[in-house]
Amino acid sequence: MSDQEYIKSLIKEAELYRTQGLLGQSKDTFTKVLRFIKKDQQFRNHKKLTRTVVDKIKAMEKELAAIHEAAVAPELSQDVQDLVKNLFSFSKNKEVAEVEGAVALAKFGQYETALTEFHRLLKEGKVPLVAAKNIIRCHLALSSPNEAIDQFEQWVSGDLLSKGQLNNIRAFLESVLEKKGIKAKLPVVEAPSETGETEEKEGDVLDISSVGVRLKSGSRKGSIAEFDVTFQSGNVISIVISSKEKDLADSLELGIKLADMQFYSPIAIFRGCGIVSRKTKIKSGPKKGDYMLDIMVESG
Amino acid sequence: MAIFNAKNRVIECKLVYYGPGRGGKTTNLEYVFRAFKKQTTGEMVSINTNGDRTLFFDFLPMGLGKIRDCDIKVQLYTVPGQVKYGSTRKMVLKGVDAMVFVADSLEIRRKANMLSLKDLQKNLAEQNMSIFKIPLVLQYNKRDLAKEDMPIVPVEVMERDLNSKLKVPSFPASALTGEGVGDTLKECLKLTLHHLQKELSWAR
Repeated sequence: MSDQEYIKSLIKEAELYRTQGLLGQSKDTFTKVLRFIKKDQQFRNHKKLTRTVVDKIKAMEKELAAIHEAAVAPELSQDVQDLVKNLFSFSKNKEVAEVEGAVALAKFGQYETALTEFHRLLKEGKVPLVAAKNIIRCHLALSSPNEAIDQFEQWVSGDLLSKGQLNNIRAFLESVLEKKGIKAKLPVVEAPSETGETEEKEGDVLDISSVGVRLKSGSRKGSIAEFDVTFQSGNVISIVISSKEKDLADSLELGIKLADMQFYSPIAIFRGCGIVSRKTKIKSGPKKGDYMLDIMVESG
Repeated sequence: MAIFNAKNRVIECKLVYYGPGRGGKTTNLEYVFRAFKKQTTGEMVSINTNGDRTLFFDFLPMGLGKIRDCDIKVQLYTVPGQVKYGSTRKMVLKGVDAMVFVADSLEIRRKANMLSLKDLQKNLAEQNMSIFKIPLVLQYNKRDLAKEDMPIVPVEVMERDLNSKLKVPSFPASALTGEGVGDTLKECLKLTLHHLQKELSWAR
């Protein structure tokens, strides 16, 4: 292949990468052409060719810069936001599904709409702790820690949230602000009274998709075993352990308290404990012989 | 996770197209939308940048008709392929039932294919899913570039790179012309339905 043919083929390759949207690769290939031209006696003084290739490289750099500077999360239309809410809520529980939809909006950078949704949920008394914490998260994602603090102060002086919930949120806000290196003086909330106030635990209504259990006995003592949740009814989850893992099943005896558990839900991960409340062997179907365990969840 | 509505006898499942950036995931969906109009049950939605790079996802709902007296509905998604959109990919992968991995046959994208497949394996594991158990089909896209004398990786080499351990069905394709796109999707749907039948017959 002659030098001219080589340059032509490289330029063709670079152009193809450009049309494919592989701008980095296109720029690299044009740069390769430029290096070759500068070294080659035949083309070294070919000003027009050199200028053309330099212009191409600059054009690639400009396009790449534009891509890097583009808004990470442009505002989506209402229709698309509604679609996002619908497509990314999985729970059969209507309240949890609404939270999942709002969380999805936040995860796709639609913080203002997500804030509107969370405020609505909070006002309607739906999953207030989760809604309030996500309001805080949205403000922090919008780089507005002062808004988050102002919001908390409004809640303290209002009556949307109980004292117990406010204390929970205060601890949460304090820890997230600390992680950002912000020391804020948050209003103190009185401790909740001992009688009469039933606390809504953040974990009670969440769909748990999987759990991690630190094993206290057996060959895997000390390690964390993870299980998918096959069924959930309120705060009782069911898991299946394969008959091939008898040792694992034996280490989870009926009545045993599992002090170190991790619960994974679509919107949060939390720690807690549970009790093995039921243990049976599956008698039919593809999972015949496997073990079905019910675990009663006690949030941490 | 497939949703089975026992009352209405409807099964809804989620199929995600994954792969490195600019590999042809969106082009696959665009072809499916044009070529299989009868089966699509809504418009294709694309959330992308000004440069037509997928920003969040593409979405296309399809209906496959009745199988064993159940209405089968499939939602096709693509993920953004650029490395920086990792958290969006995880979000879109939630509840996935089946995957099409769209690999870019260009020689220059060989490493990107392998990194993307590793990324998929990791993201599935975070959802307690295994890349070895989920219905998965590989597509070796952009085979048409061989006609333009572009350096592309031979299929047998792509098989070695990406499929030596997975051993799943694979199809050479050109999403631009549509070659192989329908075959890829049909095989993936076949694997998905087979997988669902096994899961749901136990549930009954």
